[in-house]
Amino acid sequence: MFLGRVTGTVWSTVKWPEAKGLKLLLVRPYRLGDVAPGAGAAGQGASAEASEPTDDLVVCADTLDAGPGDDVLVAFGHAARVAVSEKLAPGGKPDVPIDAAVVAVVDRVEIAGGAER
Amino acid sequence: MIRGTVVGEVWATRKARGLDGRKLVLVAARDADGRASGRLVVAVDVLDARGGEDVTVAFGSGARNVLRPGADNRDLLCDAAVAAIVEGAG
Repeated sequence: MFLGRVTGTVWSTVKWPEAKGLKLLLVRPYRLGDVAPGAGAAGQGASAEASEPTDDLVVCADTLDAGPGDDVLVAFGHAARVAVSEKLAPGGKPDVPIDAAVVAVVDRVEIAGGAER
Repeated sequence: MIRGTVVGEVWATRKARGLDGRKLVLVAARDADGRASGRLVVAVDVLDARGGEDVTVAFGSGARNVLRPGADNRDLLCDAAVAAIVEGAG
């Protein structure tokens, strides 16, 4: 899983039928320097405060109704399909063609050493 | 698997049912030289790793095997798990 911030939404009309009704979000993963400035390679030039995420965007399915500005956890692979299948109608097949899904909307991240965000 | 350092913990109330009751830790991956690479992963932690501790994180079915070893664990929602708390590496 990774921690990221929702930055937008993706629409599509042509897609595999099993993915119909599935909301897709754009999520930007946090790097170490974004949550713990000064720690590690990504911290160069960062201010003293935690900043916006800076990593490459990931498109992921969303069943928790997350929206832009929310910090979320995204799971990859089979775990993403398990999360999405929780929300499918009874008898729905979990073999949806996705490999990333929002699995939690984050309340709080506590960085060891005191900082919180 | 990767080696990394536990740098924090993540809390969420709105989440997939499969994550209920799971402790989630934020791990900063290390590169070949042992330095933080900048990449962060969030892993399920059943070994009660503490902030600052070095750990290994397993992904995919290896992660599910940390929670419940065996072939019948594909119902688990877990793509990354703390597999070991590291005492030394050379």
